Amino acid sequence: MLELAIDGQGAGHPILGRLEARIHPGDRICLLGSSGVGKTTLLNAIAGLDRSMPASMIRRQAGLRIGYLFQEHRLLPWRTLRQNLALVGAAPARIDALLAQVGLQGCADKLPDQLSLGMARRAALARCLAVEPDLLLLDEPFASLDAPRVQELRALIAAVLDARPGMAMLCVTHDPRDAEALANRRWQLVGKPAALVEVRTEAGDPVRDAG
Amino acid sequence: MSATRWASWVALPLTLALWAGLAAGLNTPLLPGPAQVLEVGWQILASGELAQHLGATLRRVAIAFALAMTLGTLLGLGMGRSRLFNAFCDPLLVLFLNLPALVTIILLYVWFGLVEAAAVLAVVVNKVPNVAVTLREGARALDPRLEQMADVYGFGRWRRLVHVWLPQLFPYWMAATRSGLALIWKIVLVVELLGRSDGVGFQLHMAFQVFDVAAILAWSLAFIAVVQAIEWLVLQPVERRATRWREAGVAHA
Repeated sequence: MLELAIDGQGAGHPILGRLEARIHPGDRICLLGSSGVGKTTLLNAIAGLDRSMPASMIRRQAGLRIGYLFQEHRLLPWRTLRQNLALVGAAPARIDALLAQVGLQGCADKLPDQLSLGMARRAALARCLAVEPDLLLLDEPFASLDAPRVQELRALIAAVLDARPGMAMLCVTHDPRDAEALANRRWQLVGKPAALVEVRTEAGDPVRDAG
Repeated sequence: MSATRWASWVALPLTLALWAGLAAGLNTPLLPGPAQVLEVGWQILASGELAQHLGATLRRVAIAFALAMTLGTLLGLGMGRSRLFNAFCDPLLVLFLNLPALVTIILLYVWFGLVEAAAVLAVVVNKVPNVAVTLREGARALDPRLEQMADVYGFGRWRRLVHVWLPQLFPYWMAATRSGLALIWKIVLVVELLGRSDGVGFQLHMAFQVFDVAAILAWSLAFIAVVQAIEWLVLQPVERRATRWREAGVAHA
């Protein structure tokens, strides 16, 4: 569904180097790497937000729908959750169900700033799901949460993935436990300019090859 | 009641008392007292003059304001979002910002004659650069993170404008509106004084011819009252409505 053929140096990209990989339907990939290596940059490039990345280096299947959970919730603070979800195209009848799915039943008419950090992140996750994504991008979804909240959100994301077997996920994290709980593939971003390495897990080969 | 609340009720009555005392002491037609001004005000109200001329002035203010805000907002947004457009327009903006209102008014009257269109256009030309400069700052301050969000979720032009940009631009737009109303009605009076035969400015002109200070003060105070009423009855309620979401975070914390 998505093919990376990035030659960042050739394109004069400031951070990314040579990255070649494919994402297939149902892939659950965790992207690990030290901070500042370019994980968010890669996510932005995949989402089509990186203007310095030539379009030909990221080949997306036609009509690919992407849901992107940014590090901050990035909900419109002047719109209620219901309006925020409706603005990305959620049918009015589905909004309550989407919010209930992330444990926010009864919060549809709240403003984002009335929610705690964890709730706002789950609301943003509901917005990702509202577009019925083929590819779900998660940027440090567990950052700044306390341990019980991390457990909760991990379980929630696992449930979301189980309910959508065809959806692919690419999750930026620095905690290998996240990868254990959620991923069937691991990517590691290393070096400067950053290159992508597919990590083989102890359990055996990754489900698919990186190339 | 706290001292700050008291303080705001001191200056105006004090000025009024000073004015009344000074007028009584000097006893000259060049400084009528508050009672005399009030009487003139009552007369022009009863005769229907106030409604007629105030109406003419307010109509010009409203048209000029609507045009200036629309054009200035578009110009400011364009300049704030596009460096090329900004580089192109900026020298012109500086030129028009520093062009005295009087020059615009005189030139437009000379070129187009003493007609309504020239009068309103002169006001618009004076105000557009101020609106553009304020809204340009607003456009530059738009949150890039929300822009990325809107990009990812495929927001169209209209949806982005209404739901992402306008709420962020609102404080800038409000600032432009406030300073705009204050500026526009003052320019409208000059425009009327120089080349119209109705409106508050025209009445001030007539009063100036015969040194009728009571009339000058009565017309001015009537207009100030109307502008203040607009602030209380229109601007403040609109502002309260539009910024309600800001209280959400505070209430939660």
